[in-house]
Amino acid sequence: MSLMKIFLVEDNELYAKATKHHLSLNPDNQVEHFVTGKSCLEKLYLQPDCILLDYSLPDLSGIDVLKKVKSSQPDLPVVIVSGQEDVATAIDLLKEGAYDYIVKDENSKERIWKTINNLRENAKLRNELDRLREEVNLKYDFSSIKGSSVPIKRVFKLIEKAIRTNITVSISGETGTGKELVAKAIHYNSKNKKAPLVTVNIAAIPKELLESELFGYEKGAFTGAISRRIGKFEEANGGTLFLDEIGEMDLSLQAKLLRILQERVVTRIGSNKEIKVDTRIIVATHRNLKEEVAKGNFREDLYYRLLGLPIELPPLRQRESDIILLAKYFLKLFLEENEMEEMRISEQVQTKLRSYSWPGNVRELKAVIELAAVLADDGIIEEKDLNFNTVGDELDNLVSEGLTLKDYNTKLINYYLKNHNNNVVEVAKLLDIGKSTLYRMLKNKELTVN
Amino acid sequence: MADRVYDLIQLEELSGGDQDFINMMVDTFLEHTPGQLEELIKAQASNDMVTFGAISHKIKPNIDMFGIKKIIQDIRDLEQLGKAGQNNSELQTKLANVEAELIIAFEQLRQR
Repeated sequence: MSLMKIFLVEDNELYAKATKHHLSLNPDNQVEHFVTGKSCLEKLYLQPDCILLDYSLPDLSGIDVLKKVKSSQPDLPVVIVSGQEDVATAIDLLKEGAYDYIVKDENSKERIWKTINNLRENAKLRNELDRLREEVNLKYDFSSIKGSSVPIKRVFKLIEKAIRTNITVSISGETGTGKELVAKAIHYNSKNKKAPLVTVNIAAIPKELLESELFGYEKGAFTGAISRRIGKFEEANGGTLFLDEIGEMDLSLQAKLLRILQERVVTRIGSNKEIKVDTRIIVATHRNLKEEVAKGNFREDLYYRLLGLPIELPPLRQRESDIILLAKYFLKLFLEENEMEEMRISEQVQTKLRSYSWPGNVRELKAVIELAAVLADDGIIEEKDLNFNTVGDELDNLVSEGLTLKDYNTKLINYYLKNHNNNVVEVAKLLDIGKSTLYRMLKNKELTVN
Repeated sequence: MADRVYDLIQLEELSGGDQDFINMMVDTFLEHTPGQLEELIKAQASNDMVTFGAISHKIKPNIDMFGIKKIIQDIRDLEQLGKAGQNNSELQTKLANVEAELIIAFEQLRQR
């Protein structure tokens, strides 16, 4: 339970003592008593959770105290407790922002008790709400997108531009580059951040259902439409609609989407009423939409309509200087979340991370680091803890490193040596090369033998 | 000794069986109310009806809390008459009632 600091402003000693005694039956109630309005106002900086205010005080009237409290702390609930059984006064006080008005009689102590409990419940909910808001803001703060490389800095600049206006934004980039993160960063930093951000993953919804999902429907619009349903466009009204994997959208639906974007109105299925929507659109795709237009899979007019401010997210391999920074960041996050001891990444692992091609981009890096943190011993991540589970073509990944043929040779031989206990004779046999070649390379320190 | 003019049932209910609390409340009552009664009489004598109304208002919950039944209505009437500025014979009679009853209550509570 939460502690509740209550200021009791009451010049009648008897009544004050009785109220204080009663409220203190709950040990979470911390009651501080003031005889005058002025002495209470002077202690407002102590931030009480609520004020129980007697209407007739020796120095100020209840309404004056109320007004002063409300002008400095508008959210602080003030409950008026009064011997005045006058409806007009009560209404005036409530209009001035009093939380409740309680008449002093034989029932007043129960009413005060109830009111304080309600306030406690409210305060708890409000704290929870504040905490969640803060969390969301922090989470999608700009700083959640990490990096200091030139390509990512360009992205930051574009995001800043997107935040200032309501322009449509199209985000492109390979899988795992953080397209959704960018959409969230734009929404939660824009002036519409208090309105909802609604995300629809086009690829995740069967195309027959997508239309009703986006536009909503009226009861009876089709078999199974047993009640009215609001579409995602309406839900995001005033905020942001994030259409992920827009490249997967069906051509017929593309035509409807285009119309909505042009007219700024939606019509629910089964209705002929047009509903105005004021929604910022952010789209994302891992496809090259221009190519899709050329192939006839994507409408050209919609392409131009959606292009807006294009933000292209660089693949991780083009942000080599960010890799270690990101790896350390993900490691720190993971360790914190799991309350684990500090851990560092060995030099060899850092080199390996930098040279890998990262087909799954930042998402893959995060997964690799988290697994490594779990596998690591003695607070250091070593090569044995690294596992690259690449889905794509192995050769592609190998070639994308862009080494010279000589370097590839070295790499290959090193790999064999490592896997065959540095047995030169065996490796020479397996690779069908002369032992002397290997010995020469070893002598020239072209190979590493541990 | 005459019948008790007060009734501590409200305080007992509130105390939850805490005798110290009741004793403290009685002490507080005896500490403040006699002075308030004096002020009330003074205000009437000097025809200061605004103060008279305000003090009646202050004494009212004390009388309620200590269950001094005979004057529960009188003190309310005094507050209204005071606010209306009517220092008349009705007010004076009721003031006399309140004074007499309170003095008995003080005495009985002191000897409790």
